[in-house]
Amino acid sequence: MDALSALKMMAGSQVGGVQNAVSATTATTTQAIPAIELQQLNTDVPVQATQAASSTSGAGFDNLLGNLVNEVSQKQTAASDTVSGLLSGKNVSLHQAMISMEEANISFQMMVEVRNKLLDSYQELMRMQV
Amino acid sequence: MINALFSDSSYVTAKKMLDVSVLRQEAIASNLANVETPNYKRLDVASSFESQLQSAISSGNSASVATMQPELAVDTSAVSGRADGNTVQLESEMLRLNENTVENAAETELINQSMAKIRMAVTGKS
Amino acid sequence: MINVLSGIDSTASALDAERVRMDVISQNIANVNTTRGLDGKPYQRQEVVFENVLKAQQSSLDSNLVSGSSPEMVQIARIQKDNRPARMVYNPGSPDADAHGMVAMPDINIHEEMVDMIASSRSYEANLAVAKNAHSIAMQALSIGKH
Repeated sequence: MDALSALKMMAGSQVGGVQNAVSATTATTTQAIPAIELQQLNTDVPVQATQAASSTSGAGFDNLLGNLVNEVSQKQTAASDTVSGLLSGKNVSLHQAMISMEEANISFQMMVEVRNKLLDSYQELMRMQV
Repeated sequence: MINALFSDSSYVTAKKMLDVSVLRQEAIASNLANVETPNYKRLDVASSFESQLQSAISSGNSASVATMQPELAVDTSAVSGRADGNTVQLESEMLRLNENTVENAAETELINQSMAKIRMAVTGKS
Repeated sequence: MINVLSGIDSTASALDAERVRMDVISQNIANVNTTRGLDGKPYQRQEVVFENVLKAQQSSLDSNLVSGSSPEMVQIARIQKDNRPARMVYNPGSPDADAHGMVAMPDINIHEEMVDMIASSRSYEANLAVAKNAHSIAMQALSIGKH
């Protein structure tokens, strides 16, 4: 297969790995994991389905990254709204401001970790001997 | 993806209970401020809220827990032990004050623990 | 004002009101033997009347309570003179004695004033405890997310 879909597959498995660690600590995962990882675990799925999944996983993965960035920026704006509400004396209590700041922080770290893993995957790929 | 990180039901419930305990602190402050005011009726978190919260938790739907709004209401079960109609009793109100402070500390600790878990899962370090 | 201490308006108003009440009680006790006041008559006992008020809101967004409602505060409605009649005591040697040798003394019962003083200081201490707990709750909130 070509370099781009190989990159997407490796990046997909890296993101899937982070996702699985997170889902081990939370009760549910609501976001679809890139199809590759799930398909490889599911022995019922025929090989053709795997190939079809690899061609659609490119589009799915772009959406995944876009959604991640959107959600992180939503958390950040919610945090800054809460903090400015607290400072201007509106009925926001201190603990709400602290919690939303910390959640925004964790979300941002999540995005940074995803970026790091993608970068590592890319560099790993580039080091491969042709 | 981010919302899934924070949708653990015990975390959502702890956040809501923290809101409730801060609200209750305000009710207790108002009650103790008015302990000598004639005909003052004591306030507390609305008792209907407690039962709604129980059913929301047992249904397992953390989204419905997150949208609940606790409110203060006059405590109809309080009786007046005094001639002036004031229903605040100093000793029990002080006990509630202490109990509420401990509850607040407990919920804050739960929230901190949940956040530490999430942070560990995301970054791999504590 | 930043809302870091929840319910502090109620508590502050109560501390002020109880302080005024204690001042009035001490004034009553100090004047238990005053037979001639500023108006020439015996000292008239004073008492305070508390009332429960809602803090006036500057705007609907200005509520600083989590509950979104205005804080319930207490204030002194008025300091009123008691209208008990003066006690007449037989004391012909006193400069304020009337034709029958009776002196009009203020009708202040020390025990009653002491009981009021105790109730007032209990309420004052209770409100101090509330303020302390509000402080500890705020410090707890500040430690959220620290690692």
